[in-house]
Amino acid sequence: MNPTAPDGEDLPDGPSTPGTGEWKRVHPLTPLIRSWQLFLFFLLFTGQQVISDGLEEGTENLRPDLRGSGPLLVLGILLAAVLLVIGLSALVWRFMRYRVGADSLEIHTGVLFRQHRSARLDRIQTVDVVQPLVARAVGLARLRVEVAGGSDSKIDLSYLTESHAQNLRAELLARAAGVEFTGPLAPVAPELHRLEVPATRLVASLLLSVPTLLLVLGLAALTALAIGARTVAPLAGVVPGLLVAASTLWERFSHGFAFRVSTSPDGLRLRHGLLEQQTQTVPPGRVQALRVSQPLLWRHRDWWRIQMIIAGYGQEVSGRSEQTTSILLPVGTREETLGVLAMALPDLGDTGPDTPRQVVEAGMTGTSADHGFVTVPRAARPLDPVGWRRGGFRVTGDALLVRHGRFHRTVDLVPHARTQSCGVRQGPVQHRLGIATFTLHTTPGAFTVGAEHLDRAVCAGLLDEQVLRARAARRAAGPERWMEDR
Amino acid sequence: MQEHGDGEPFDPEGIVWTRVSPRLAAMRRVLSVFAALVVLLVMGGVLLVFATDTVDLDGLVVVPVGVALVVVLVEIWHQWIIGRQTAAWGYAEREDDLLVRHGVMWRTIVVVPYGRMQYVDVTAGPVERAFGLATVRLHTASAATDAAVPGLPPEEAARLRDRLSARGESQLAGL
Repeated sequence: MNPTAPDGEDLPDGPSTPGTGEWKRVHPLTPLIRSWQLFLFFLLFTGQQVISDGLEEGTENLRPDLRGSGPLLVLGILLAAVLLVIGLSALVWRFMRYRVGADSLEIHTGVLFRQHRSARLDRIQTVDVVQPLVARAVGLARLRVEVAGGSDSKIDLSYLTESHAQNLRAELLARAAGVEFTGPLAPVAPELHRLEVPATRLVASLLLSVPTLLLVLGLAALTALAIGARTVAPLAGVVPGLLVAASTLWERFSHGFAFRVSTSPDGLRLRHGLLEQQTQTVPPGRVQALRVSQPLLWRHRDWWRIQMIIAGYGQEVSGRSEQTTSILLPVGTREETLGVLAMALPDLGDTGPDTPRQVVEAGMTGTSADHGFVTVPRAARPLDPVGWRRGGFRVTGDALLVRHGRFHRTVDLVPHARTQSCGVRQGPVQHRLGIATFTLHTTPGAFTVGAEHLDRAVCAGLLDEQVLRARAARRAAGPERWMEDR
Repeated sequence: MQEHGDGEPFDPEGIVWTRVSPRLAAMRRVLSVFAALVVLLVMGGVLLVFATDTVDLDGLVVVPVGVALVVVLVEIWHQWIIGRQTAAWGYAEREDDLLVRHGVMWRTIVVVPYGRMQYVDVTAGPVERAFGLATVRLHTASAATDAAVPGLPPEEAARLRDRLSARGESQLAGL
């Protein structure tokens, strides 16, 4: 706690392994950036006080000694609070250090309760550079490293200068990939720009969405009733719902704004964001599952959305980030969607007589047993009168595709090598109909994968063989360090 | 690949299921009776309170008797279900994975490869301990994996845990 203590006196003095970097601190502006809201609040309050004082001076000139002291006192307390918060975060900053070792990223935090976290680089799932608006204004960025492991498994380095964050990302990815390099800076993997989602399409896709529909319908009902009854009182309850819809739309817009996808040897790189700009890097083999879906309103435009499951992403504290960080493509044409799918999951393996494209398209739009899809039997009709025709799955050499949804079309792709476990469920009605539901367990994420209402013999076969396939695929899977020779 | 022997997902060919201990049924039966008694007692208590407040109860006496009858019937049904449920629990250790199945009306079977196992939990609550039972639960990186085997004698639970851990280590895989 002694501020004059020499730097690093409380740090563990392990033997320095080759390639072990120095302990470093994050940028000294961090405490200010972290508490900027409070700062803003203080400024606003001060400004408001000054203005109201000025107004008061004009109208009232009695006992000037008492008049000003109240607001001044509040101001003083506020100032003290702001200084305290900044002081505390400065203390937190002083006690936070990180270093990149040969095969781990270590971070040391805590003033009273010390924490030393060391993450294995070959277990890194994603490396994201995040720039909130204020940080961007002063050229700082946050580095978010996801290492799959229980809850709160990410390492947050905030804030670093932009170039430093990028260098660090390159270094982490290079080390995680098993690339040998000399010199202080890691080689930056070359990047190939693949596509950008036009803002007009993003807006159009949001206009053609359920929240918009609710918003429009809600507003229409509100105005109609307000005109008819000359009061808005009975509809006041709708307002929170409208606000939620509006904020959802805003969230999607601001997250998907200027969405760019590029590829590099380090994996997929996604850049996006209006106010908060993010650059996500998903190394090869980190995608646990993909979902391609198309709401009914997008069908005539043939637009699709892709979501992904990455280990660790699903466990983030706020549900909001789970929904948004898992987006691989907010809206894309069929060509773009197929392209991005091919980047995220380069190989479907053996697809028999069909081309991979035919298989995926059959999953996206098909309703029959074409291209090797095993469909839901007619017996499932009582339980799923509309969707049964779409339901089905297809096994390729390296992945399982599960499609469902007649109106909201969905197809899920899970690489065999990423299957955690699988199971079969059967309810009493299903039992009578001779059908069962096959479930595939992946790491937690934005969606779950399961094929409903399959013939029970098909289910039994799938359960048996999927386990074998998963095992074989795991044995043959690439190394965790994706650039390393095997 | 669609063709498969007898085509019964919950009873794959060549699997010998290990049943859970019959003491699990005993434990759940006792717990169920206990719960029914609590319900009846609470109802009796409510009845007493009302009896002191209201003068005439003759016409209403049918209601508590009816409810008590329903509770007793539900309890009898539950006792029967417990027997079937406990008999349906089973697990099987294959060379590379563990199979767990349970449920009578809603049946479930889970196949967990040893290599995917992240950790094994052995838990035993106070009631379980009184009956000499423990629960073994397998965890993978997926939260959806529901592979729990309740009602194992502690020695068997420890043996299963050790075996699973050993096999998991020898087949460990990344995510």
